[in-house]
Amino acid sequence: MTFRQFAFNNVLRNKRLYVAYFLSSLFTVMVFFTFANFAFHPVFTGGTVDSKALFSMAVAGGIIYIFSFFFVLYSMSSFLQSRKKEFGLLMLQGASTTQIRLMVFMENILVGFLATVGGILLGLVFSKAVLLIAENVLIVNESLNFYFPSLAIGVTFISFMVLFLFISMFVAFILRTKKLIDLIKGDKQSKGEPKANIFLAIFAALLLIIGYGVALTVKGALVVYAMIPVIVVVILGTYLLFTQLSVYIIRKLKGNRTIFWRKTNMLLFSDLSFRMKDNARTFFMVAIISTVAFSAIGTLFGFQSYLTKGMVQANPFSITYFSYADDTDKDINNELNQIQAILNEKDIHSEMKQIALNYYSSPYRDEGVLFVKASDYNNFARLVGEKEIHPGEKEAIVVDQSSKILSYSNPSDQLMESTIKLENGAELTPTAKIETEILPEFNGYYIITDNNYEQLGSPLRSSMYYVWQVDKGQTDKVVEAGEKISEKVPYKAQSVDYNVYQINKTFGPILFIGLFIGIVFFVSAGSFLYFRLYSDLEDDKRKFGSVAKMGLTQNELKKIVNRQTALLFFAPIIVALIHGAVALTALSHMFDFNLMKEATFVLGSFALIQIIYFLIVRLFYVKQLKHAIY
Amino acid sequence: MLKIKKVGKVYEGKVAYRALTDIDLEVEKGEFVAIMGPSGSGKTTLLNIISTIDEPTAGVVEIDGKSPHQLKKNELAKFRRQELGFIFQDFNLLHTLTVEENIVLPLTLDGARIKEMKEKASTIAEKLGIGAIMNKRTYEISGGQAQRVAIARAMIHEPKLLLADEPTGNLDSKASKDVMEMLVSINEKEQTSLLMVTHDPQAASYSDRVIFIRDGKLHSEIHHGESRQAFFQKIIDMLSLMGGDGNDLSSVRV
Repeated sequence: MTFRQFAFNNVLRNKRLYVAYFLSSLFTVMVFFTFANFAFHPVFTGGTVDSKALFSMAVAGGIIYIFSFFFVLYSMSSFLQSRKKEFGLLMLQGASTTQIRLMVFMENILVGFLATVGGILLGLVFSKAVLLIAENVLIVNESLNFYFPSLAIGVTFISFMVLFLFISMFVAFILRTKKLIDLIKGDKQSKGEPKANIFLAIFAALLLIIGYGVALTVKGALVVYAMIPVIVVVILGTYLLFTQLSVYIIRKLKGNRTIFWRKTNMLLFSDLSFRMKDNARTFFMVAIISTVAFSAIGTLFGFQSYLTKGMVQANPFSITYFSYADDTDKDINNELNQIQAILNEKDIHSEMKQIALNYYSSPYRDEGVLFVKASDYNNFARLVGEKEIHPGEKEAIVVDQSSKILSYSNPSDQLMESTIKLENGAELTPTAKIETEILPEFNGYYIITDNNYEQLGSPLRSSMYYVWQVDKGQTDKVVEAGEKISEKVPYKAQSVDYNVYQINKTFGPILFIGLFIGIVFFVSAGSFLYFRLYSDLEDDKRKFGSVAKMGLTQNELKKIVNRQTALLFFAPIIVALIHGAVALTALSHMFDFNLMKEATFVLGSFALIQIIYFLIVRLFYVKQLKHAIY
Repeated sequence: MLKIKKVGKVYEGKVAYRALTDIDLEVEKGEFVAIMGPSGSGKTTLLNIISTIDEPTAGVVEIDGKSPHQLKKNELAKFRRQELGFIFQDFNLLHTLTVEENIVLPLTLDGARIKEMKEKASTIAEKLGIGAIMNKRTYEISGGQAQRVAIARAMIHEPKLLLADEPTGNLDSKASKDVMEMLVSINEKEQTSLLMVTHDPQAASYSDRVIFIRDGKLHSEIHHGESRQAFFQKIIDMLSLMGGDGNDLSSVRV
């Protein structure tokens, strides 16, 4: 047996020991490859996607690579920690430090090679699945057909072989030679219970409170300035939360005998406090990574719905036609016929209404002020089911657009303050202001009775406004019709469904990339936790084994493991969910747009995924423990 | 107290292996019985069967009139932590708990009241002379102390039967002596039945009766006479008669 054979056989015949490390490496490669597969997809590189999106893909790729590096390094170092005894035994047999490093190096290269090749193969399957989902869920411009990604394979293979080579060299630092006796007793020595500093614990709470407080109170453009300091404060606070505050709380709980000495609590908390040292770092990483994922996806999703919702809100009618002032009746009729023809062709049932928008001269505005007959307005209002307006003989009602996405000034205030003189000498005073979207006028308008309307004289300018309200449940047809209409009658005719479709289309790839990166981060965070859990498996087997000899029912075992795993899985995620909720609230303050629904949806889905993940992992963990003990 | 009738154990596998054959054994209340035999004779298998960790393939085990092997798993766990006490060669203390917490663990699992647990722990700790180390961690105490902690843990719920597997196996002679004297005094004062598996003739000489097992069968048994020295000599004689090799004797002390 040569030394090389020894190192290789060590891996191949000892699969169980290496499987956790191998799988986490495999997984990392798979994720990276899947991403590279998209990044190098002909559709994206073909130049149809704009350069900003390409740049953000490159940045994302870089982040994933750095992240992979730390993840593999972390898996690696905890794997080596658990093998201290083995190294001790080898050294006892006379192996030199150099030889052990060489052995670990060769093992690593072997595991790395297998993980890279396996990850690429698995990634091929996985990316096909993601492509399918992407095509169905999101509206991507071109179809993302499956291709044989030789470039992605090459890039992934080289990147990860370099990464494993680098990490293998890093091992020398992890394996600083200690005294032989320390290595041999490595698995028996206690790492010691972590201690907490009360001041740092309070400081952690303070940092989080300040960070949250600032994030939740600032409004508008200030959010941008507050963002960086708040992020720094919250990250620091999160770190201290897990390393100090949580340790402090657990110690306090342990000090309380009524709680600590209650049934299985003793087993649960004692381990918790010991493992907190290792857990704290994992928790911190997972919490931050998940927060980034939540916020990124929440932001993109929120931004998209901000645009589409705003569009839908501002346009209550399915299709609108707005004539220019200099259009002749013939032009208008011609275009109306075209629209109607398209609607008929697509077999769309709709109801049409029309109104003449007449602007009358005003001392305040050169372009004139719009006056609307109450009967005309109510005609439109009935179509979309809004409240009808009945102004009195001596009054005028001012109408303002309710979704003022773009305008900050309030021209309708001016309308409220001025009075209206009619031709018969009567004077109308504006009495109330309402907000609706019935008519497309940014600067506000008056509604007056039909009788008074006759007394306004001749208008300054006039245009025709036609609306079609289609029956519900024909969105697909309306989108098709909308596309045709906007081709035939550009600018003047608008279909809101088609516009929303267009926004979704342009947003598709961006949303997809964001979603994908977010999911990658989230899944990686999950596998961090999984790895953390499994590194304690042997410890748990031994511990529960000796307690089981004294008498521990399966239900009690299940209860302890349940709580232990739940804490591991949910502590960082709950923190991340709160972080994410605060971040999205701050975001909604910046845009002054309610993101509640989107945030709840995004955070809720992640929480749900995490619960499912927890249930699966717990099932297997308990099974393994039971198998070893009973 | 403990009745074993015709107990046998066969390990199934490609080659079936018969570890125990027709073992009959009775332990009275308050009796201290040691089981000896060469390596591989089936001592530990027998102890595992009695302690309900393992199941016999034939025969009946009765503890205080109950047959634990017919209990359901959860009932069995409760039975174990209420009726049995365990002492192991490698102590089996949990290193994340303090000495005191290790001692009260069986009561904690049973949901006892805190006051009761504290009182019992301090009483038993006084008896075993470990009152001063109650707040220490298991890795801060010596082997002898650790075994005394293990005894305290095994005794705190006042079990009917105490099972010890090589309790002196990891201890030096002074600590062994202390631990054995402690076990004897518990056995006498509390009238707890005690069953011990050991290699160590010195430890065995503290018992009332030594049972010898060889190749999974009962070989013979000898009773404690007038003095421990004489009993010790009888044990040594029996071991050499059984053809045990020199390494069956504890190489440390004899």
